[in-house]
Amino acid sequence: MRRHPLLPLGYLACAAVAFLLAAMGSVWLASDMAGHYYHPRLLALTHLVTLGWITVAIMGASYQLVPVVLERPIWSERLAGWQLAVMAVAVAGMVSHFALGTGLGLASAAGLLAVGIALHLLNVGLTFRRVTRWTFTARLILLGHGGLALTTLFGVTLAFNRVWRFLPDDFFPILHAHLLLALFGWVAPMVLGVSARIYPMFLLTPEPNRTVSRVQLWSLTLGVPSVVLGVMDRPPLLALGGFALALTAGSHAASILNMVRGRKRPQLDWSFRFVVTATAFLLPAAVVGLGLAVNFLAGPRPALAFAVLLLGGWISLTIVGMMLKVVPFLVWSRVYGPRAGREPVPTLAQLCWPRAESLAYALLVSGIGLLGATVWLGGVVWIRGAGAVVALGALAFATALARILGHLRSGGVVHVEAHAR
Amino acid sequence: MERPWPLTDLPEARRVHLDVREEIRAGREPFIRIMTAVKALGAEQVLVLRAPFEPLPLYEVLGRRGFAHWTERADPDDWSVWFFRDAEPVSAPTPRPAPARDARVVLDVRGLEPPHPMVRVLQAAERLPLGSVLEVRHERRPIFLYPQLDERGFDHETDEPEPGLVRILIRRREARA
Repeated sequence: MRRHPLLPLGYLACAAVAFLLAAMGSVWLASDMAGHYYHPRLLALTHLVTLGWITVAIMGASYQLVPVVLERPIWSERLAGWQLAVMAVAVAGMVSHFALGTGLGLASAAGLLAVGIALHLLNVGLTFRRVTRWTFTARLILLGHGGLALTTLFGVTLAFNRVWRFLPDDFFPILHAHLLLALFGWVAPMVLGVSARIYPMFLLTPEPNRTVSRVQLWSLTLGVPSVVLGVMDRPPLLALGGFALALTAGSHAASILNMVRGRKRPQLDWSFRFVVTATAFLLPAAVVGLGLAVNFLAGPRPALAFAVLLLGGWISLTIVGMMLKVVPFLVWSRVYGPRAGREPVPTLAQLCWPRAESLAYALLVSGIGLLGATVWLGGVVWIRGAGAVVALGALAFATALARILGHLRSGGVVHVEAHAR
Repeated sequence: MERPWPLTDLPEARRVHLDVREEIRAGREPFIRIMTAVKALGAEQVLVLRAPFEPLPLYEVLGRRGFAHWTERADPDDWSVWFFRDAEPVSAPTPRPAPARDARVVLDVRGLEPPHPMVRVLQAAERLPLGSVLEVRHERRPIFLYPQLDERGFDHETDEPEPGLVRILIRRREARA
């Protein structure tokens, strides 16, 4: 089996570019963010985040982590390469057509995106065919890909409706279901599943116990269809689903806390500081989410704040943290793996740039926290200020990644900083 | 694995013991204390470091200072690493015994952070004489190690004799006529 670390790196690099653009977009679109979320430019920004950044990053990480988690090679790396090209064109098309408000262009881009996602589902599905051990992680990855298929179906339906108008006039329930499926049907199972297997590997700590894993699996399996049906047609189910998902979030946070407490690494690196802080964002996100689910909160501003806390706080900071772990590993595998055992090779820590990572941490955490608060309050100047902090953080993160990727160009000849540890 | 020749029959007086387990468990960083002990080592002395996990970064740091190491694990959270100067003593030209053909070298890489298991296995594999077997004990199937072994001319087979233990047997591929 020959593996090419450049394949997942290609995905992760594209995702990082999307993150940087989205962070800069939050400065530019501050006045739109102070209003209703159903605005063409805000929909463009949301899809740049959810598709360009989060989905492409998860897909890239999948091609690296699924073989580790399932202990099976990916079915076809060549197919995954073609898929990236399709996804890049489709996401660029969707974001630009959302911003321009062109229905036919958007429907075409959504169709192309569906092809890209179908290629991913095919590749992962055929990889799963050879799995014999159905671990918690394997189940959640499968669940997540089911969620991705449904999210795509709802999204493509909404995009086609812009041209052919077959949905009822009030299509907001389907729009909300699409977003909830993306968050809890696709992204959440992937984060939960992969973290249960990958965090212990790097923290040197036991995997979460079965009870916690079962709570997460069942509350998520109950919560996702409940909130989706709840926003579409059965309002009582929304509160039930909201509580189930809050339980998922709470048990996930507890398992992360246990892993961190039980670790054998004396110090958390910046990668895991991002992950732990991201998990802390689940608390305010769960409070706001539950408030929306039980109708204690209503309106576009709390909904936007919820999206910022969940997409920016929990998911984005988790992905940033994991990328600061996965990207050095991939670069190391490509440049230094063939030399390992034959000559001294640097450690992963020596590929990283802790100063840039710490700056990215300070700016992204404070910026996203501020952005969540300011979109709720609705002050344009404050939103722009918070967006600027996030954009600077994204720039620091991109710089830290670029430095790691620089080892690919130099073939490992660059001077590796001698770290004290 | 057997203790290497510079450490066999080493008198207690030449051993400097340093236990950093409690310090690490308390969340403190023992690096400065270790380096102070290393600097204070006499020419004939050996540092015996006890830690709650294998202190891999130290291997490279001290390796650059001319120290070799030998590691033993009493418990999953009790590691003893012997750091000694890696120079052949002029007065003791005892040849190192070559591993016998069909000898089995056991390497336990459980509890190590990626990519250290891969580095340790490849280091051990590169030193493996033809005919010997390297038995690696791992927590999971090392999916990224296999291509490296294939490319370097090693045969390997993997099994799971018990839950939580993956065993990989590695041999140098015999040259075909």
